[in-house]
Amino acid sequence: MEIKVNGKVYPVDVEDSMPLLWVLRDVLDLTGTKYGCGVAACGACTVHIDGVATRTCMLPVSAAVGKEITTVEGISTAPGLSAVQRAWIDHQVPQCGYCQSGMIMAVEALLDENPDPSDDDINGKITNICRCGTYQRIRAAIKTAAQYRIQSIATDQPSKS
Amino acid sequence: MKRRAFLITGGVVGGGLMVGVGGLSYVNNKIEQFSGTGMGEGHSLNAFVRISPDNIITVAVSKTEMGQGVYTSIPMLIAEELEVDLSQVKVVHPQCEGPYANLFFANMTPRDFENGLTTMEKVFSFLPNVMTGGSSSIIDSYDHMRIVGATAREMLIAAAAKDWDAKTEDCYADNGHIHNKLNGQWKYYGELAEKASKEKAPELPQLKARSEFKIVGKPSKRLDVPDKVDGTAQFGLDVRLPNMKYAAMRHPAFVAGKIVSVNNVAQVESMPGVDKVVIIDEGVAVVAKTTWHAKNAIAALDLEEKEHPELTRKDAISSLKKVLEGEPAKVWEDEGDIETVLENAEKVITSDYEVPYLAHACMEPLNCTVLVNGDKAEVWTGCQSSTFVLNGVSEGTGISKENIKTNITYLGGGFGRRSETDFVRKAAKVASNFPGTPVQLVFTREEDMKNDYYRPAVVSRLTAALGNGNILGMKKKVAGQGPLFQMMKRNIPFMPMNQEDDQMATEGMRDLPYKMDAAYTDMSCIELPVPVGTWRSVGHSQNAFFTESFMDECARELGKDPYEIRKEMLGNEPRHLDVLNKLAEMSNWKSELPEGKYRGIALHKSFGSIVGQVVEISIQDKNIKVDKVFCVIDCGKIVNPAIIESQMQSGIVYGLTAALYGEISVKDGKVVQNNFPDYQMVTMKTMPEIVVSIIDSDEYPGGVGEPGTPPIAPALTNAVFAATGDRVRSLPLARHGYRFV
Ligand code: FES
Ligand code: FES
Repeated sequence: MEIKVNGKVYPVDVEDSMPLLWVLRDVLDLTGTKYGCGVAACGACTVHIDGVATRTCMLPVSAAVGKEITTVEGISTAPGLSAVQRAWIDHQVPQCGYCQSGMIMAVEALLDENPDPSDDDINGKITNICRCGTYQRIRAAIKTAAQYRIQSIATDQPSKS
Repeated sequence: MKRRAFLITGGVVGGGLMVGVGGLSYVNNKIEQFSGTGMGEGHSLNAFVRISPDNIITVAVSKTEMGQGVYTSIPMLIAEELEVDLSQVKVVHPQCEGPYANLFFANMTPRDFENGLTTMEKVFSFLPNVMTGGSSSIIDSYDHMRIVGATAREMLIAAAAKDWDAKTEDCYADNGHIHNKLNGQWKYYGELAEKASKEKAPELPQLKARSEFKIVGKPSKRLDVPDKVDGTAQFGLDVRLPNMKYAAMRHPAFVAGKIVSVNNVAQVESMPGVDKVVIIDEGVAVVAKTTWHAKNAIAALDLEEKEHPELTRKDAISSLKKVLEGEPAKVWEDEGDIETVLENAEKVITSDYEVPYLAHACMEPLNCTVLVNGDKAEVWTGCQSSTFVLNGVSEGTGISKENIKTNITYLGGGFGRRSETDFVRKAAKVASNFPGTPVQLVFTREEDMKNDYYRPAVVSRLTAALGNGNILGMKKKVAGQGPLFQMMKRNIPFMPMNQEDDQMATEGMRDLPYKMDAAYTDMSCIELPVPVGTWRSVGHSQNAFFTESFMDECARELGKDPYEIRKEMLGNEPRHLDVLNKLAEMSNWKSELPEGKYRGIALHKSFGSIVGQVVEISIQDKNIKVDKVFCVIDCGKIVNPAIIESQMQSGIVYGLTAALYGEISVKDGKVVQNNFPDYQMVTMKTMPEIVVSIIDSDEYPGGVGEPGTPPIAPALTNAVFAATGDRVRSLPLARHGYRFV
């Protein structure tokens, strides 16, 4: 079968039931997407499938065939870092950093859907676990990223690649 | 082992390798030996600093980066004295060698550069003990890394002065250049590095005054953050090597149990993608094409398991309660005459407390990748100690340590769990079945959670003598397993320790800052089936809960304000008092809270830093919303305030998670909890707002990775008492029917 990740088509010779997470990590060596729990409980494995934030540790690869898969490696190809990534740097969010790929992917999708989320919107949608407890800076960075995106739309700059 | 003991006592340590002036044993010795290890192109000025001709400064950071920010704060210390911009600095993690040992652990005090190394420090260099933990990174590095930077700076100045035939006094370093102030000549460090590397290092360089600091004390951006936002940061589990295989393993299901046999090796080996079932004495691994195939295969293993005859069914809490009633194993504190003070008291109050086992649950499950090649091996992992990595690979493969190369990656959390050898040794054993092929072993989340070295379950009994409106004395009895005792036994077996001598079991309990006529602490210990280890803030994690809850109980009993009573009793402790007063001021302690809101306070010193916290909660029925946490820290001189702030937030969330939900329990001889759904975490929704204030202090630095954790549980339960009159004396709160919103 073939899957399309970050705009590139990869032939993959694996069982249909293999979770997309392990295809990305162990077959394609795209290790930005992380394994945290394997039971869709932590969000470390979040990617976008046709733009929707999806936990991939329990998602059979066959369900992603024919769709656009975007991983953390795919959000900053050009012209630079995404608004969310820039906000993450501004607020110095990561500590150990292990959860942050999943966090960033979840937040990208949240902002695509809801450009100016309230605290309640954030609490409802961002349910990923960060064992280092970076939540406060994540919240601040989400708000900054929302502003960056709104400004870039106003000035007609692309907010992400 | 015998030989090593001989070497240490035989004084060989004092010769050869260890010769050094003013404690700078390695700075100007054996540079070649220690500089070839991943530091890239250029010339080494000492074991920590290398400068390339094109002016790239590579620094060896001997502490591992697990989120606490050492890959930024330690380069800041070097860059400050070296007079370079932090953006010019590249970080590598060196091999496990003498110069990189953490000598703080030798005497639990920073080294004295004027007087040279103590015997224990020489021993720790010789071993060497390269280790990150105990919130010791900045304590161990604050002077040392500035000296390293200043030494390199003075060598560059000496080289430039020679070049120009100038006096060193007329030359100075600034922003990566040496200048001649008489004629305006200047050179890049890169041009001088080769010559400078041949200069003799100064015995002790001149350090800058704090008032001259440009980098240290200011909120520099972290050097590791860019890699951590675009997915390129490499954790142990991200290591990918040609022809690599993936492994997972099952450990014994019974605590203190054993796997006796595997009933279906052939069947599992015929599963798709599976290479081999590897039986090691600590469990059964399956090596496969991908992690997923390995995970599926371990789930299919049909194992014969055996309990430990005495231990497996022994219940921790009831056993501990029993030993608490008996004679203590060791008296740790006995100031004044506690029995007389209790006898003469107007009133005596006693409370029993207990806390459960806790898992570390690092976000990145434990893992290690090993390649065995003949009599050599290479290892990739995120571990808090490269010493333990070498030990683990050597134990697992029989390969001698000189023939093992370590690659220490970023750690996806450590919290004390990665200061162990088990996952490395197991990976090495599995990989030795596949010579020439790298094997990555991962503990699935379930195996990671069920095979932790847990924060011990502990029970305690606190008794206070009250009189004249004061606390006159306090008797504190604690019963538990020794986390350091077990950690040493597992990982440093040639330095044996008795369980009752485990200072971590009573830390933060035997040395309260409050002035009383009498204070007493003892410890009882016992062998139990569940293994324990160092969990963020170790003994402080429970002892602050016991003592600071009990302080609140005493205050209520005396009809005093919990802030005021602490203030009255801190007469001899100006640093504590400053933290407490600042905390009361920033939290507006004396103000009325809106209807339905309540607060609690706690103060605790750990790892050289004093932290006070006030928690504000709203409560309705049994639904608690933790609204806000005020946190004040005095950690001595500040290196990077932004990192201190984030470590306070992190430590608070870690402790809050434990206080609300944290509990590892054993049922029918097996650990109950499996994964995050039954070992719950604070998330965005339950996260309080945290306000941190850092006291500007002139004291020697303390740690920041752990001290944020201890005060949060008592501050929270004290707030619950203020709200409901319910004194929660055992954690977690969830056990008492509270829910978190
Ligand atoms: S690894 Fe998929 S949600 Fe945790
Ligand atoms: S930054 Fe470590 S788990 Fe989130």
